[in-house]
Amino acid sequence: MAVASGGKIRVAVDIGGTFTDIALFLESGVIHQSKVSSTPEDPSRAVVDGVGSLLAELSIEPSAVAEVLHGTTVGSNTILQRSGAKTGLITTRGFRDVLEIGRIRMPDMFDLTWVKPQPLVPRRYRMEVTERMAADGTTVEPLSEASVIAAGVALVAEDIEAVAIAFINSYRNPAHELQAEAILRANFPQLLVTTSCAVLPEMKEYERTSTTVVNAYLLSAMRTYLQKLESGLRSIGVAAPILVMTSNGGMLAANVTCEKPVLVVASGPAGGVIGAARLSIARDDRDVIVFDMGGTTAKAVIIEDGRPTMTSEYEFRDGISTSSRFIKAGGYMLKVPAIDIAEVGAGGGSIAGIDKGGLLFVGPQSAGAVPGPACYGLGNTKPTVTDANVVLGFINATSLAGGNLNIDRKLSETAIRTLVGDPLDLTLLDAAHGIRAVANAAMARAVRAVTVERGRDPRDLTLMAFGGNGGVHAPDLARQLGIPRVVVPPMSGIFSALGMLASDIEHTALKTVSLYLDRMQVSDLKAIKSELQQQVAGQLDGDGYQAERTMFLWEADLRHEGQATELTVPFEGEDFDQIRERFIAEYFKTYGYRDATPIELMKVRVAGRGLRENRLDFAAMKIAARQGASRSGTRDVSFARGEAAVAVEIVDRGAVGMSPLQGPLIIEEFDATIIVPPDARVHKDAIGCIVLEFEV
Amino acid sequence: MKVDPITFAVIKSGLDSIADDMAYTVVRIARSEIVKDVMDFSAAICAGDGQMVAQAKTIAQHLGAIPEAMASVLSKYEGDLHDGDVVIMNDPYHGGMHLPDIFMFVPIFHSGKRRAFAVVICHHTDVGGRVPGSNASDSTEIYQEGLRIPPLKLYDRGVLNTTLEALIKINVRVPDRVWGDLSAQFAAAQVGKRGLEKLMQRYGADDVDAYMQELLDYAERLTRQEIKTWPKGTYSFIDYIDDDGFSDTSIPIKVAITVNGDGTLLVDYTGSSPQVKGALNSTLSFTHSLTYLSVRCVLAKDVPNNVGLFRCITVKAPEASVLNPVMPGPCAARALTGYRVFDTMLGALAQIVPDKVPAAGEGGNSVICISGLRPNRQPFIIVDMICGAWGGRPDKDGLEAVTNASQNLSNMPVEVMEAEHPVRIEDYSFVPDSCGAGQYRGGVGIRRSYRILAPEALLQLRTDRVKFHPYGLNGGEPGGLSKNYIEIGNERSAIPGKITRNVTEGALLIHEQAGAGGFGNPLLRDPSDVREDFLDGKITAEFARKHYAVTFGPRGVLDAKGTAALRSARNAPPSPEGRHGA
Repeated sequence: MAVASGGKIRVAVDIGGTFTDIALFLESGVIHQSKVSSTPEDPSRAVVDGVGSLLAELSIEPSAVAEVLHGTTVGSNTILQRSGAKTGLITTRGFRDVLEIGRIRMPDMFDLTWVKPQPLVPRRYRMEVTERMAADGTTVEPLSEASVIAAGVALVAEDIEAVAIAFINSYRNPAHELQAEAILRANFPQLLVTTSCAVLPEMKEYERTSTTVVNAYLLSAMRTYLQKLESGLRSIGVAAPILVMTSNGGMLAANVTCEKPVLVVASGPAGGVIGAARLSIARDDRDVIVFDMGGTTAKAVIIEDGRPTMTSEYEFRDGISTSSRFIKAGGYMLKVPAIDIAEVGAGGGSIAGIDKGGLLFVGPQSAGAVPGPACYGLGNTKPTVTDANVVLGFINATSLAGGNLNIDRKLSETAIRTLVGDPLDLTLLDAAHGIRAVANAAMARAVRAVTVERGRDPRDLTLMAFGGNGGVHAPDLARQLGIPRVVVPPMSGIFSALGMLASDIEHTALKTVSLYLDRMQVSDLKAIKSELQQQVAGQLDGDGYQAERTMFLWEADLRHEGQATELTVPFEGEDFDQIRERFIAEYFKTYGYRDATPIELMKVRVAGRGLRENRLDFAAMKIAARQGASRSGTRDVSFARGEAAVAVEIVDRGAVGMSPLQGPLIIEEFDATIIVPPDARVHKDAIGCIVLEFEV
Repeated sequence: MKVDPITFAVIKSGLDSIADDMAYTVVRIARSEIVKDVMDFSAAICAGDGQMVAQAKTIAQHLGAIPEAMASVLSKYEGDLHDGDVVIMNDPYHGGMHLPDIFMFVPIFHSGKRRAFAVVICHHTDVGGRVPGSNASDSTEIYQEGLRIPPLKLYDRGVLNTTLEALIKINVRVPDRVWGDLSAQFAAAQVGKRGLEKLMQRYGADDVDAYMQELLDYAERLTRQEIKTWPKGTYSFIDYIDDDGFSDTSIPIKVAITVNGDGTLLVDYTGSSPQVKGALNSTLSFTHSLTYLSVRCVLAKDVPNNVGLFRCITVKAPEASVLNPVMPGPCAARALTGYRVFDTMLGALAQIVPDKVPAAGEGGNSVICISGLRPNRQPFIIVDMICGAWGGRPDKDGLEAVTNASQNLSNMPVEVMEAEHPVRIEDYSFVPDSCGAGQYRGGVGIRRSYRILAPEALLQLRTDRVKFHPYGLNGGEPGGLSKNYIEIGNERSAIPGKITRNVTEGALLIHEQAGAGGFGNPLLRDPSDVREDFLDGKITAEFARKHYAVTFGPRGVLDAKGTAALRSARNAPPSPEGRHGA
């Protein structure tokens, strides 16, 4: 298939731990996909090679590519591997330890063995300068230029590459930070400098300092990576601009990403969520729980009225985030807008066992991709969730990933029998069901964290599942939580890449207001909005989006007088009644009572979107056929504890049509399996999603 | 009922996450800094018979006090609890701890039977009494400490008790904050109620009842199993509180732990100080709580901290002692005594399970209370809590800037404090050389300095370890002492650890917390680790030389020769009895 150059071909790339997924979107609405092995030592190589070969295979001129969209784990991996820039920090005198003191709490009670994470900037590289702003923004002590130069000299002598500046009360008055930045740039041009007032102009010194330090820490890694990616793509003839997915699901131009890498730390999982949000609108079923199950963790996100729920801060850490979100400890605090993702340590590779009290547990330890589940025969003899799925017939007992991975059911059986069945006096099948049930309970906890914890009833929502294991566990999870419907999108194995094609370019800005809602004038709000809109419109203009192709979404953060956290509500215009009513409704929904105290408007936030001409429209999408043997035959599946295994028909996705089929049924794809239990009916919708429905 | 291991696991994590939901609700909507920023509050779930089964990751010290508090609620209201009732209580002599901690109990009914209680405890900014904050260490009678609330219904079948509401509001200095925090407790309890109702709907109320009881048996089983592996015998330890602020007399806390062959413990505090004049008296419920949590800290990670664990421990504390006071003994500053119970328990446990116990930490958070009137005559009360450091551990260093392990506190951001109160923080940083040296060193202490910006303010300090160092273990050296100063103009003067006094605008209060003890002979510490501490300014070159026999050349390079010479000259290890250096 030859394609004329000068077209509007868009490429989306998602780099995972094992595979790099590529989706290529033609103007005609046709999508091609490819999966290549990741190259962790230089992640850009897999992208350049993978994109190059897919273009060659399709005989597409590289110059026809109009845009490269990218979800990257460079930010998260740089922190995990501690491979960021050698970073220094400059603070107000008396406050060099704010970064290390943090918020004091420990993540688990009663644990005397806890190891507090080392700060990204060790104490020796944290310098104090003479200056002080008061809480009202007035100057208590002017900035001493000499002290800034002394700090710069000391840091340069230690070969520091990047410097974060974070002064007390700079959220009220940034003048000293800006002066210090100018002094450093003038005297030490080799330093990369980032200020807290530019990264996060908000109250609370630890959160602001930590976020600024992470930004400084990532500056050089992100620049190096994006420059490599850009030059690699140029070398194969792809000259299109690169856009990077942000933690909150927007798209950021590569040059902006190089200044504020802290905005893309959670870039990796965002694509799938944005895809799910767009898909929910295309399907006109807009209240959705997104469920993304991988090898080590499962993630859950809520989409309400077609928009993912967002959080204004999160902690990045090794391992697994807990669902007790009120804990602040054990990670690097990032106060940046991000999709509110709940993650639990239960995935296909999670290891099951019996604790000393005789309780069955699953995870958070994972067998990973290597050695992998017991059935891989690569040296792990402990049972995993995947082994339970193999034993019960949920997963193909001879090969996985379209035949690329050979597996041995006998090894799964031995592992489960020895380490779970015999000690608990359970049959093999009962033990395997037990492992699945405990894993499902843990995954349900992630879903609960984003639903029940927020006062949302999961039974009112649709469960949208992707990732290789999503379709294997989603039906049980749905039943457990009383969710009536499970949707598995098309191309569920590369759905994160697909999702990026559906996103907009986005810039956000916020202003701290801290005023009583009842005392505000329309003119106050107008002034705030116009300041924010100007700021964001300028950035969009720089990306090539002029007024007619932009759109602004407004949000207000409100709370009752004196509370610590706000609830966020969207608003339009300058209608205080609308804002008040929405807040009161949201408050009641979340906390179950009404509060009579005054309401404070704490922050106003704007998301300015550049509307892409050729954004992926799920309703019009056509998926290019992939060659591969079509599936047929039957497999024995045990659906519930105590029930004998029954022979279940295996079909291709293509065999499911618009008219509902009664389960049981197994739908197998290249890299994903969907299990339709006996009590569910399944059909394909107009967009190509597989939809399971339960009687409730 | 036959226990199904799967349903059991699901209900167990279900209860945990409901408790977490409750705690999360409190932190989001509470009004006072001490609750929303410092996080001095707790949430738990009790079974229908009142036994605590699950808890949120909150303040460990509160949680073990729930059984006594619940007993007093049931003894008053058993037979008269209904759907929609909300019972509150704060009286130390009715199972409470100290007056600022108000307990809230909400019974939860299903299919005609009481099935559970949601319990939420918050430390309130003020409950009246002779000083702002209601937390002074220098009261002499409970009647001075504020409003005592025996178990009373705040809501009766869903109807607010407006008499009680009015009585509370008129007796406290900051009624909006107190009522706001009580509303947060109420909202959290409703969230707990909603969660439990769903759980019972799903699994059947009778089954949930049965599994709650099984959860207690499970904790008891795990606890006994582990204690049975401990060496039988009796193990004693003694530690001290500096004084009660009235006299210089030190206050001993003494414990003897007997490990029994059936997997139970007898914890006997005979020999501890008699009840004291000042407000350090720890009620029996609080003494129990600290005892339980100390044991819990050395058990395997997966043991639930519920009544099942408590069943394995018998506590003896002599009546009218500082660990079991009688009326009208004041209790407001009892947390300090609790911290010392924790230190003492760990010191005894270190002899039983030496590979699990760190050297002493900072000895408990310091409480700095600053109150007064703003220029516009509006009152302000700052209740600030400073944390903390952990002692060196058997296999690794201690920690700095961390909550005491018997709590789970946070800190009040400097910018929040400055925006809300007439005070400026001029220093919030580590105190070099305050760490106890050891093969694994203790954490350094923290300094916080407050400049008073109000015309006049009342200052209350509840600090300790000014005289008695946090102990080292296994040859590790003790941690550095706590210090307090007032600076007026250029005049700096030391002040005692427990004090109530007036200060005027411009005064600077400087508090330095104690550092933590070290573990193991300091001469066994790797010189390159000593160098890291030196480069980070956590210790000085003099400290390195004196305590580690390590010296440096120019630019902080390790002086290997000099170090070897120093160390060989000192080959006799320092005195292993490194504790209580007073």
